[in-house]
Amino acid sequence: MIRLEDVTKWYDGRAVLDHVSLHLEPGMLWGLIGPAASGKSVLLKVVCGLIRPDEGRVIVDQRDITKDKESDIMETRRKFGMLFQNNALFDFMTVGENVAFPIYWGSDIEPDRLRSLSVKRLQDVGLSGSEDKVPSELSGGMKKRVGIARATIADPKIVIYDEPTAGLDPVTTSKIYDLLRNLQQRNESTVLAVSSDVQAIRGFVEHIAVIHQGRILYNGPERELDSCADPVVHQFIRGDADGPL
Amino acid sequence: MVQQNTQNGWKPIEDEGFWRRIPRRIGVSTLDAGKAAATLLWVLYRTVIGTVRGKRPKGEVLRQMEQVGNKSLLFVTVTIGFLGMVLVFQVCLQIEKITGDMSQVGPEFIKGMVHAFVPSLTAMMLATRVGAGIAAEIGSMMVTEQIDALRMCGVDPIDYLVVPRFIASLVMTLVLSVYATAISILAGALMAYTSYHVNPVMFFVFDKVTPGDAVIGVTKCLAFGAAIPVVSGYCGLTTRGGSEGVGSATTRAVINSSLAVIILDFIISAAGYYLLQSRGL
Ligand SMILES: Nc1ncnc2c1ncn2[C@@H]1O[C@H](COP(=O)(O)OP(=O)(O)O)[C@@H](O)[C@H]1O
Ligand SMILES: [Mg+2]
Repeated sequence: MIRLEDVTKWYDGRAVLDHVSLHLEPGMLWGLIGPAASGKSVLLKVVCGLIRPDEGRVIVDQRDITKDKESDIMETRRKFGMLFQNNALFDFMTVGENVAFPIYWGSDIEPDRLRSLSVKRLQDVGLSGSEDKVPSELSGGMKKRVGIARATIADPKIVIYDEPTAGLDPVTTSKIYDLLRNLQQRNESTVLAVSSDVQAIRGFVEHIAVIHQGRILYNGPERELDSCADPVVHQFIRGDADGPL
Repeated sequence: MVQQNTQNGWKPIEDEGFWRRIPRRIGVSTLDAGKAAATLLWVLYRTVIGTVRGKRPKGEVLRQMEQVGNKSLLFVTVTIGFLGMVLVFQVCLQIEKITGDMSQVGPEFIKGMVHAFVPSLTAMMLATRVGAGIAAEIGSMMVTEQIDALRMCGVDPIDYLVVPRFIASLVMTLVLSVYATAISILAGALMAYTSYHVNPVMFFVFDKVTPGDAVIGVTKCLAFGAAIPVVSGYCGLTTRGGSEGVGSATTRAVINSSLAVIILDFIISAAGYYLLQSRGL
């Protein structure tokens, strides 16, 4: 479904992604962990065509999007929903308009139906009655939920969550992961999730990858992660202060 | 390098690295400038295409017209009013010293206003007010990933953000310039009458304004009105980093749109003079 072949991306003379190769099957729950600034967000944006890699190929459903024109990539992106690291809610719209936006633009659904769909989706994420608020009135956890509602309203085949629980308390964190799990089971979507909260994400995904300085150090089943021999991986998942990191 | 020099008994030249780096720096800056120019032209091209056949949010053009037009009204009135008065006062002052015949001040003032002063002054004001607004808005959307979110929803940020501002600015620069011409004439007439007892009727004689002047004036308004949102939109869309990046994008937008206005003013004035005015049009 998604395949990355030797993807490399340079920023300011530094390889932020360094020959990354991946393969994701449909319906997979895939997690990506790694220290700050290791290239996680860049990798997610490369997958959905927001960033063009300098080398290598990104193949989504047999289509190489690295050579596509922006308008063709736009078409491929319909398969994706994305929660951004900073939520990226449109601050000039209400919460309801934000959630409805992916299905509003380019379609001719009537406003009433649009509104009921967005109210419904806000209920699913536990935010009924917030549709007329503006994003600046919401707490961090509520913004994440709105972001999740917007990422999933079009029932995309692939959902990308960039740090869905960053800065949230443990209770909210586990509620958010429950929500993501429910949404995934309902839509049978493929999920790519990034987190720096290693324990929480390990409870959510089946497959996990570890990235460090743009290189994938581990990519495999979640339960075999502990037996990975790489010292960086070892230190990172145990959270030790001493080590190569 | 430095070590070798010391071994040979030379004094190490501190600036050697700097001077050596110059050719490379020039090369890199030229490349960067070339890339920037290419991106700017691409934004212009995409904006024009988007204006012709893009999809834009409902009611956005009207909202932007209000932003560009109505909200600049007071600023334009005050600035153009005072500038008109100062200009007329200075001209009368000089004429009084030479011939003392003030009968032609009004018609000549109107001519100058129409083809030269009003379009560029109005555009300079819009470059600061509107240009800064566009760059700050788009730039902050850029650093908060809202632009990426738009692209994820299948929206072209140029169609969605730049095109409505482009259309609004194109129309409103022209409208505001017509309005500013009227204000400058009124202010000029008032000043000439109160200070030098020039008959105010002379400020409503449009004899000296040729069709060429009007063509040049309108061309300038359209060119400036197009340049400001495109240049500022480009600055906004190339914002990098956090709030600091938004600040520098805003500054770049004001400086570059003002520069664009001045350069276009020069080009259109020169072309207008050779093509129209020198032939008596
Ligand atoms: N647009 C950009 N321009 C320059 N450098 C960038 C850009 N985007 C990301 N980077 C750099 O790439 C590195 C990885 O960034 P990112 O993927 O956001 O890290 P993280 O793993 O924390 O999500 C960082 O060092 C960042 O500075
Ligand atoms: Mg990140």
